[in-house]
Amino acid sequence: MVEAIKVEDLNYSYSDGTKALEDIGLTIYEGEKVVVVGPNGAGKTTFFLHLNGTIKNPQGDVRVFGKRISDMKIEDRIHQVGVVFQDPDDQLFMPTVFDDVAFGPINMGLDEEEVEKRVNKALSKVGLEGFEKKVSHNLSYGQKKRVALAAVLSMEPKVLVLDEPTANLDPKSRADFISLISDLNERDGITTIIAMHDVNALPTLADRVYVLNKRIVAEGSPRDIFSDWSLLKDNSLEAPDVFKLFKVLNCFGYSSDDLPLSFDEAVEVLTRTIEGTEGHIHLHIHEHTHKEISHVMDSYNHHRNGKK
Amino acid sequence: MEYPEIDAYSSMDSPIHRFDPRAKIVSFTFLIFSLVFVNDIRVAFSGLVFSFFILLVSRLPPGFALKRIRMVFFFLFPLLLVMPLTVEGREIANISGISVTLDGLIFASLIIMRALAAVTLALTMLATTRFDMTMKTLYALKIPGTLVQMLMFTYRYIFVITDEFSRMWESMECKGFSLKANYHGLSIFGNMLGMIIIKSYDRTRRVYESMVSKGYSGRPRTLVHLKMSAKDYVLSTCMVGIAIFVHAYQFI
Ligand SMILES: Nc1ncnc2c1ncn2[C@@H]1O[C@H](COP(=O)(O)OP(=O)(O)OP(=O)(O)O)[C@@H](O)[C@H]1O
Ligand SMILES: [Mg+2]
Repeated sequence: MVEAIKVEDLNYSYSDGTKALEDIGLTIYEGEKVVVVGPNGAGKTTFFLHLNGTIKNPQGDVRVFGKRISDMKIEDRIHQVGVVFQDPDDQLFMPTVFDDVAFGPINMGLDEEEVEKRVNKALSKVGLEGFEKKVSHNLSYGQKKRVALAAVLSMEPKVLVLDEPTANLDPKSRADFISLISDLNERDGITTIIAMHDVNALPTLADRVYVLNKRIVAEGSPRDIFSDWSLLKDNSLEAPDVFKLFKVLNCFGYSSDDLPLSFDEAVEVLTRTIEGTEGHIHLHIHEHTHKEISHVMDSYNHHRNGKK
Repeated sequence: MEYPEIDAYSSMDSPIHRFDPRAKIVSFTFLIFSLVFVNDIRVAFSGLVFSFFILLVSRLPPGFALKRIRMVFFFLFPLLLVMPLTVEGREIANISGISVTLDGLIFASLIIMRALAAVTLALTMLATTRFDMTMKTLYALKIPGTLVQMLMFTYRYIFVITDEFSRMWESMECKGFSLKANYHGLSIFGNMLGMIIIKSYDRTRRVYESMVSKGYSGRPRTLVHLKMSAKDYVLSTCMVGIAIFVHAYQFI
C-alpha cells in the first residue's frame, strides 16, 4: 500500500505557549477514508494546518507520498493535498464564485481553457452549475460550504482534508455532503481525512478512526472505537445512537455479532437476523436485565449524568 | 440582510451597460478629471448637464442615483453660504457690514457643479458594471496588483464584517443594551468596535492561510475576458473628445 500521509514525532505549540500537539504519529494510505475525532481543542485543526503548508517548518516529520512537505514546491503540494477548513467565509475571498474556484488552478499555472474546464467540473461535482457569476456574500451558508469544497476540488488533489464538513448544515445538505464526500473517495479514489464531531455520520466516512487529544490516543475501526466506552468517556466522545440502541437490545437478549453503526446498517442487520431466526426475534426481561441496561446507559451517557 | 450595493442595477441593459468595461473606465475617468479642472462656470454647467444626460441614457432608476447625488450636494451646500461671505470681489449685497460677493457665489457654484458632475459620472460608471468586473478591469488595465487586491478584499469582507457587526449588535440588544450617549453606552460601543477589529484580524490570518493553501504566493491572478467592438471605440472617442474640448475650445 502506498503511504499518502505519514507523520512522525510531530509537536506543535502556539506562540502563547499552548501545547496543541504532542508526539503525533500516524500513517494514512492512498484511497483510505480516515476520520479524526477528538474533543474541542484537541488539536484537529492545528494538525490540519500542517498538511497544507500553513505551518512552514513543522517540528517533526510530515511526509506526503514520501516527500517532506516542507521541501515540496507550492504547485506540487497543492496538487497532492487540499484542505477545506470549517468557516467558508475564510476560504472564499475572491469577488465571484468563479474566481474562487479558479484561484487554485490559476496558481498551478494551468492555461485558461484548462482552468475553465476544472471550474465547471468542480462546480458540477458539488451541484452548483451555473453559479459562476454569483458573488459569495449572496450565497447561503450551505452553498458557501459547497463552493469552498469546489475551490479545493478544482486543484484535483489526491488527498482531501476536511475540517468539520457537516457542522451547521441542514439535514438535507448534511446528507448530500456526506454522500458527496464518500463518492469522491469511492469513485474518484481520493484519500479523505476528515475531522468531525458528528458521530452518526462517521461510519459512512471512515474505514479507520484516529482519536486525537493532543496525542494520538487510539486508532481502529469505527466499531472498535465505539465499543471502547472508557476511551469514549476519557475523550468526551459519543457513540452513534443506533449503536447505543443495539447495545441496549443486547441486554434484552437480542444477539448479533456485529452491532450496526448507522441507520442503514441497522435495517440490514435486523433483516438478516430476523430472517436467520425463522421470521422473528425474541426479546425478554430477566432479573439481571435492568442492571445490564443501567450499566450500558451509564457507560454511554457519561455526558449527561456526569458519573464517574 | 440588505446590503447597500453600488452595483445593484448592473444587470440592466443600456448603451452604458453594454459599453466595454475597460473603455468605460478609461473614458469616464478621463472625463471626470477633465470636468473637475474646468474653470468657466458655463462650461461646468454644460458638463453637469452632460453627465446627467449620460445618467439618463444609462436608465438607472432615478431614485437610486439621486439619493446618492443628493448626499454629496448636502455635503457641499454650506459652501454656497460661506463662500460669498469670505471670497473677495464684486459686492451684490451688504448685510450689516458684511459684504456678500458675486465672485464668492460663482466660485461656490463652480465647485459644486464640478463635484456633482464628477459624482454623477463616477456613479454611472460604477453602477452600470458589476463590481467584480470593475476590479478585474482595473487588473487588466495594469493598475498595481496590491491596490486591486486591497479593493477586492474590502469588497468581499465588508459584507462579512457588516454581518458580524449586526449579529453582535443584535445579541447585545437581546441582552437589553441600547446605545445611549453616556459613559457606559460609549464604553460598551468602544469594546464592540475593538472586538470587531480583533475578529477581523483573526480572520485575516485564516484567509491568508487559506490562500497559501491554494498556492498563493503574492501575485494576484484572475482570468479576464474582454473584447472591444467598434461601437466601444466610437463611444470612448466621443467621450474623450468632449473631455479635451472643454479645455481646448478657447484656443480654437
Ligand atoms: N491561534 C492560536 N493561538 C493560540 N492558541 C491556539 C490558537 N489556535 C488554537 N489554539 C489552541 O490550540 C488548541 C488546539 O486547537 P484546535 O483549534 O486545533 O482544536 P480542534 O481540535 O480543532 O477543536 P474544535 O473541535 O473546537 O475545532 C486549543 O487549546 C486552542 O485553544
Ligand atoms: Mg477545529
